[in-house]
Order: sequence, then C-alpha cells, then structure tokens
Amino acid sequence: MGTSAAHNPSLASDREAASRQAAAPAHAAVGPRHYGRYVYLAINIAILIFLLAPIAVVVVFALNPTPFIQFPPVGVSLRWFEKFFASRDFMHALGFSLEVALFTTVSATILGASAALALARGNLPGARLIVVVMLSPLMLPAILTGLALFQTYVLLDVGRPTWGLVAGHTLVTLPYVVRTTLAVLHNFDLRLEEAARNLGASPARTFFEVTLPLIKPGVLAGAIFAFIVSFDQFPVSLFLVSPGNETLPVTLFNYLKFDLDGTIGAASVVSIVLAFLVVIGLDRTVGLRSYVKL
Amino acid sequence: MMKALGSTRLSRRRFLAAGASLAIGAIAAPHVARADDPVLRITGWGGKWGDVMKAEIGPAFESEFKCKLQTDSAFPYLPKLQASSRSAPIYDVLHTNSNEQWAAAEMGLVEPKVDPKLVPNLADVYPYAVSDKIVGVSIFTSAIGLGMRTDKGYGSITSWKELWDAKYNGVRGGYVIPVNSLGQAFLMMCGTLFGKGQTDLDAAYTALEKLKPIKIVDFTGAMEKMLLSGEVGLCVIHDSGIYRYDGQNQPTDFIAPSEGVLSLEQVLTITPGSKVKELANAYVNYMLRPEVQKRLAETVWYSPANRKVKLDAKYDAKLLTTPEKVSKLIQVDWKWYNERKDEIDQRVNRIFRA
Repeated sequence: MGTSAAHNPSLASDREAASRQAAAPAHAAVGPRHYGRYVYLAINIAILIFLLAPIAVVVVFALNPTPFIQFPPVGVSLRWFEKFFASRDFMHALGFSLEVALFTTVSATILGASAALALARGNLPGARLIVVVMLSPLMLPAILTGLALFQTYVLLDVGRPTWGLVAGHTLVTLPYVVRTTLAVLHNFDLRLEEAARNLGASPARTFFEVTLPLIKPGVLAGAIFAFIVSFDQFPVSLFLVSPGNETLPVTLFNYLKFDLDGTIGAASVVSIVLAFLVVIGLDRTVGLRSYVKL
Repeated sequence: MMKALGSTRLSRRRFLAAGASLAIGAIAAPHVARADDPVLRITGWGGKWGDVMKAEIGPAFESEFKCKLQTDSAFPYLPKLQASSRSAPIYDVLHTNSNEQWAAAEMGLVEPKVDPKLVPNLADVYPYAVSDKIVGVSIFTSAIGLGMRTDKGYGSITSWKELWDAKYNGVRGGYVIPVNSLGQAFLMMCGTLFGKGQTDLDAAYTALEKLKPIKIVDFTGAMEKMLLSGEVGLCVIHDSGIYRYDGQNQPTDFIAPSEGVLSLEQVLTITPGSKVKELANAYVNYMLRPEVQKRLAETVWYSPANRKVKLDAKYDAKLLTTPEKVSKLIQVDWKWYNERKDEIDQRVNRIFRA
C-alpha cells in the first residue's frame, strides 16, 4: 500500500510504460472521434450559412444606401426603412397582413385542432382518406387554390371580401395545425380523460382542463406555422386581394415591378423581425419553449 | 351549476345567431355597397403612376362623375378577368400593355374598339393610338430602344445592330421573352433587322443565338437597376426607364436607334359585360384629356397619345410629342405574335437555356 512510484523508480517506469501503452490505443480511438465532431460542426455551420445567407443579403440590401443591389455595400443607411415606414401603401399592407394572419391563425387553429380531434377520436369511416384530403392543400400548387377560390367567389357573386381572403389562407394553413395536433394525439393517454370523467368532470371541463393542456404543444406549433404561412402567403393572396386591400407580399410584388430599390429589402427585414417577434411573444406569454420542440 | 350551464347554452345560441348574422352581413355587404354611387372598376399600374392616380387624377374623376373608382393594381389582370363572368366582369376598363389586350380581345373579354362618338377625345389622338395594331385605344406610349452607360467609353451608338458587337459581351442586357413585353417586341425587331420583317422568326432566332452571352431579367425595373449599378452597359429598355432618373446625375442615356423605336403602348379597353359602360367611356375620354395626359406624362415620362398636349420643354425635348417623332414608332403585330406565342416561348427558352 505505502509503496509509491517516487520510492520505487523501476515500478514507476513500468507504470509509465503501461500508461503509454494504454494511452496509445485510446488516443487512436479519440482522434477520429474528434475529427468526426469537427466534420459534424462544419456541416452544421454550412447548413446555418445556407439558411441564413439569404437573410444576410436582404439585410445588406436594406442598409445599403444605393438604389440597386451592390456588393460590397458602400455604406449604411436607414433611408429605405424611412421610405417603407413613410409609405401609406406599405403601412396599410403591413397592418392588413397582420390582421389577416391573426384571423387566419384563430380560424385555422380552431378548425384544425377540432378536425384533428375528430379524426383521432371519432372513429370516422375513411378517417385516413379524410386526413389525406385535409392535407391536400399542401400538395396542390397554392396558385391554383387561389384561382379556384377566386372563381368560386365570382360564381357566388360576393366579390373579393376580406373574409374570403381569410378563408383562403385558412385553407392552406389548416394542414399544418391538423398535422401537428394529430402528432401529439398519437401518444395521448385516453385514461387521463376517463379519470377526469369518472371524477365528475363534464365533457367541456374535461376538454379544457385535461385534453387541451395535453395537446397544447401540437396546437401551438400549428398556430405558429399558420401565422407565419399566412403572413408570408403570396400565391393565394394574388387572386383574392381586393383593390385597396392588398397584403404585404402582394404589395411588394407590385412594387418591385416598378421600383426595385432597397425598400423591398427593408420590408423583408421588417417581415422577418415580425415573424421572429411572434415566436418570442408566444414564448413569453404561453411558455412556448416548454411545449414546442422546434 | 345548472344555471351556469343554461346560460352557456343561451350564449352558444347567441353566438351562433351572431355568427350567422355576421356571415349573412358579409355576404350581403357587396350587394349593399352596390346600392351607393356607381363603381367603376379599373386596372392600373403601381409606382409613380399609381401615386398620382390615387392622389389627384382618380379623386378628380370621382368628383366630376359622382362615382367611385376602384383600381386593382395587383397583377395578373388577364387571368382574373378570364376567371370572372362575361356578363359580370371583374373590371369595367382594362388597362394593360398592348400584347395582353390582344389576348383579351381574342377571348372576347374586351371590346376591340372604342366608339369615337362616346369618346370624343379620340379625334385628337395620333394615328398609332387607334391603328389596326391596337385593340381599344392607346393613351400613352413609351419608346423601346437601347439604354447605355455613358461612363464606359462606348462612343456613339446609333443602330440596334451595335448590341451584337462583341465588345458588349458580359455587359449586354435583355429580357426573359416569354414573360416580358419588351423582350417580345425586341424579338420581332430582330426579324426586321436581320430578316424579311417582324414575322421572320428564323432570322430572329439566329440573331438571338448570336446575342449570347447576355444577362436576362424578367422585370424592366430590374434592368434599370442593373444599368444603374453598371452590371449592364448596353441593354434593351424603354425611354421612361431611363428618363425617370432625370436630374439624379446618373451615367445613363437612352438611344433611339436609326432603324426606329418600338412602341410600348398603354392601352385602355372596355369590357363587353360592363354594367357602367357610360362611365367606362367617360373614363377613357377623361384619360385622353390634355391636362390629364400632361400630368401623367410629366410624372412617369410616357409620351401622350393626344396631339394637343403641350408638355414642358424638358419633357417635350425627349418624349414623342410631334408627328415627326411619332413616325419613328414601330408597332408590333401582337395578334400575329400571340397566335404563335407557345411556339416562340419554347424556342427562345431553348436558346437561352443553352
């Protein structure tokens, strides 16, 4: 026990040799693992650059004072943001887009979550087919959806009302809510609801106090998708916006046909920031992080 | 608890009733709105055109004719008109470039001609505005020619054919022909320059092949910016795309080639199913009034169709405001072009894809 390497040089030397022998294969094993981590890190950085580079280009375009895309930029200016915020058309379009996105989020969330519950619980005949039908707006080119809805409204002789635009957006955002809610319902423990009912809770109370909190992650994720998809929606809006009530993407498209300056970049930056703020806002108000694994 | 439940049932009923009322109200709203002043539904451009129309010209028309002007400035107009009922079209007056008007006329979506008895100002327009190459009436035109950078030492350019000079390789600009009117008009010009005329497509295709390498864009606005940034040194462009930067000290200039300039007309037509035809004709007539023409021409640098318009010297010097200048305009046979558009699109796509 009391023997130490300091007191026994030959033993110390043996241990060092043994340690070197043990370390050699260990080092050989760690090397590739480290190498693999670097490759993994490099791939992730490359993916991040791929995802964020377009945003960086938009930001550079928005801050560059020249009236055209120029690289490298010649300076930093807020003139395009000033022009964007001073434009009545852009401000109206921004407000209108937010309004439509909010109404769409509410309607798509209520309808999508209800549909998902019915599909998961209702023992509906042909439930799988219904799911496919409900997801079909994702498979159909959105521009065709817009055109079809436009023709429907024309046939009904209702013009191009705002509720028609919200209905169109709801149609294309519904699949996101249905899909994300169905995903959480897949692992739902029905015994929790049965327990609540056995303890005397009404169906409504069971839904609001047991079911809804448990499916909240899927519903919230779907709602976020619905808001962002609606806010950025272009193909469906193209046919459904009415004169004087254009959404921001449609206004941007019309603008760039005549003026391709940094205002487009500024509007895009505002759009990105707004989408980001919605996610942050939801996180702060309903604790998104604890529910949604994005 | 029972009371609460009862009240819930009641509120649900109320909710459903309110929802139904709202839905009926929303559906009925357009019909109710129709009971007010007559509404003239038109299409129109954005940008400065849209600004001046919204701020001055539109309100003045509404005030004079006691109506409401509803302007759709969200493209695409033709598919929307096509999708709407012939007897109740979505627009009363269609404003587009000439090529789309021809397509609309072929489908019976717009009336091919405007009645001079109902639009008296037609008597004052240049012949090109109501020629057999025009459906409806052209209220303005731009001249399609060449745009160049003046700071690159290119020297004097006088002919379309100089666009093919090898020294412009890498800085030559053109358009995605299937989606851009300027590109389509330029293709016809290629037939005239190198073949037997506008309809000599083989000569045009050969000329386009020789034009490569070329930077192509779909929007004219994008070409303006490429020229301003110096990415392009010589390109096909309309005069208003250059003149609109007048006074900004930009090193760009418009060249009207000696072979003539192509016309890019702003055309108005009336839809056959319009319920407010009198108002529609009044609008067309109003847009041809000298004071309206002058205001718009000096805002967006379009050449007015009305011969009686007197522009300020700065604009008069550059725009097509005399019979001599107007005689240099070459109009495209869009009817002929549209009949072959699919075939042309496929061919030019092959040329530029390669």
